[in-house]
Amino acid sequence: MDCAEFKEIYHDLDRPGALAACIREPALEHAEFCSRCAALLTEAEALDFALRNVARYSAGRQASPRVEAAVLQEFRREKVRATGRRVQWQAAVLGAAAGIALVIGLALHHRTVPLSGGEQAAAKTDIAAPAVSVEAPQAVAEVAGNAGASNVAGAASRASESGDEEYAGNFVPVPYADDPAALEGGAIVRVTLPRSALVSFGLPITDGGDADTVAADLVVAEDGTPQAIRVVPQSNANSDF
Amino acid sequence: MNRGAETTDDGVLLRRMMAGDEEAFTLLYRRRQPAIYRFALHMSGNVGVAEDVTQEVFMTLIRDARRFDPARGTLGGFLFGVARNHLRRRWEQERNSHPLPEGADELDALLQRSAAARNGKGTNGNGTNHFVGGGDEFTLIETVGRVRQAIATLPENYREIVVLCELEEMSYEEAASALDCPVGTVRSRLHRARALLAEKLHDEQPLRRASAVGR
Repeated sequence: MDCAEFKEIYHDLDRPGALAACIREPALEHAEFCSRCAALLTEAEALDFALRNVARYSAGRQASPRVEAAVLQEFRREKVRATGRRVQWQAAVLGAAAGIALVIGLALHHRTVPLSGGEQAAAKTDIAAPAVSVEAPQAVAEVAGNAGASNVAGAASRASESGDEEYAGNFVPVPYADDPAALEGGAIVRVTLPRSALVSFGLPITDGGDADTVAADLVVAEDGTPQAIRVVPQSNANSDF
Repeated sequence: MNRGAETTDDGVLLRRMMAGDEEAFTLLYRRRQPAIYRFALHMSGNVGVAEDVTQEVFMTLIRDARRFDPARGTLGGFLFGVARNHLRRRWEQERNSHPLPEGADELDALLQRSAAARNGKGTNGNGTNHFVGGGDEFTLIETVGRVRQAIATLPENYREIVVLCELEEMSYEEAASALDCPVGTVRSRLHRARALLAEKLHDEQPLRRASAVGR
C-alpha cells in the first residue's frame, strides 16, 4: 500500500465493519514505516476520541416531557379524526352502493315491463304478415293503457312526435273493442282495405276519388283482433312508418 | 409496557400505531426520540429548536406514517430524514445561512463551563464543584466544547454526516438512507468533513491532551 491509498482509507481504519481485514492490515503496516501516514493516523485517532467524547457527553440528552405530552395529545386527536374519516368513508360507500343498486333496479324494471308481450306480438306479426310494417310496441302499450278514443288519439300524437309526421288522423276504437286490456302487447299494422270495409269498423265512407281501396293503420291485439283504426291519407299511404 | 414490547420491531410498532395503538406509539416515541433530539441539537445548537424539530418529526409520523417505505430504509433513517427536512425548512424560513443562531444556548453554556473550569471556577450552576473527576473531567468538557464548536462551523452537508456517522454511530448505509444519497457520497463527505474538523482542531492542544488521556 502506498501513501495515496492510505489517505483514501485512514479515516475508516477504526470504524467497525467499514474495511475488510485484507485492506486494514496492509494500511496499518504502511503506517508503521511511513512517518507522514503515521501522523495522519494519530490525528484521526485523536479526532475519533474527541468525537466519541462528544457523543458520550450528549448520550443522555433527550427532549423534555412537554414534547412527549404534545405528541401524545396530537396522536389522540388524530385517532379521533381518523375514526371520523373512516365513518364518513363507510357512509359514502354505502350511499354509493345504494344509489347504484337503485339505478340498476330501475333500469331493469323499465326494460322488463314493456318487453313482456310486445316483442312476442311483433314477432307474430312478422310471421303472419311479413309485408306489413309494425310500429314500436311502446305506442301500442300506451294505447292499451287508455281506453277512450281521445286517449287513443293521444297515443297517435305521441307516435307522431317520435318522427312519423305523416299521421294527421286519430285512432278510433272499433265497435266491438270493449276490452282495453286486449291491447296489451299488441302492434300497429298498416293494411289496405276496400273503402266499403270502413263501415264495418264504424267509420264513414268518404270520397276517395278514383281509388277503391284505402290505407289504414290497425291496432291489433295479441290475439290478432283489430282494436282501433285510423285512416292514412292517400299522400302518405305508400310511405313507411 | 412489558419487556417483550421493548424488543418489538419498529415495523410492528408502526403498524400498531397506525391502527390507533397509543402504547405502541409511546414505545416508538421513547425509543426513537433521543437520537432525533440529539441530531437536531447538534445541527442547531439550540435546545428550543431541537425540541420543536423533535415534536414536528413525530407529528409528521402521526399524520403521515404511510410515507415511510420499509423498502427504502429503516424507520430511524426515515425519521432522521424528516428531521433534516424540518431543520432545513426552518433555516430557509429564517433566511439564515448559518444555522447556529447567535448565542446558541447549548454550545454557549458548554463553552462557558469550559472557560470557568480553565479559570478554576468550575461550578454546575448550583454553587457546587462540577469537576468532581478532577483534571480529566476538565479536559473532557473543554474538548467537547471545542469539538462541538468546530462541528457547528462545518458546512451543513458535512455537519449532518458527522452527526449521523460519528455522534449517532450510524453505518454508512443507514446514513445514506437518512440523507437519501449514495453510500459512496456519505463516505467521501465524511472523509472530507473529518479532514476539515482535523484542520480546525489542529492547533487545539486540549484535543491532543484528551486523546492522550483516553489511551
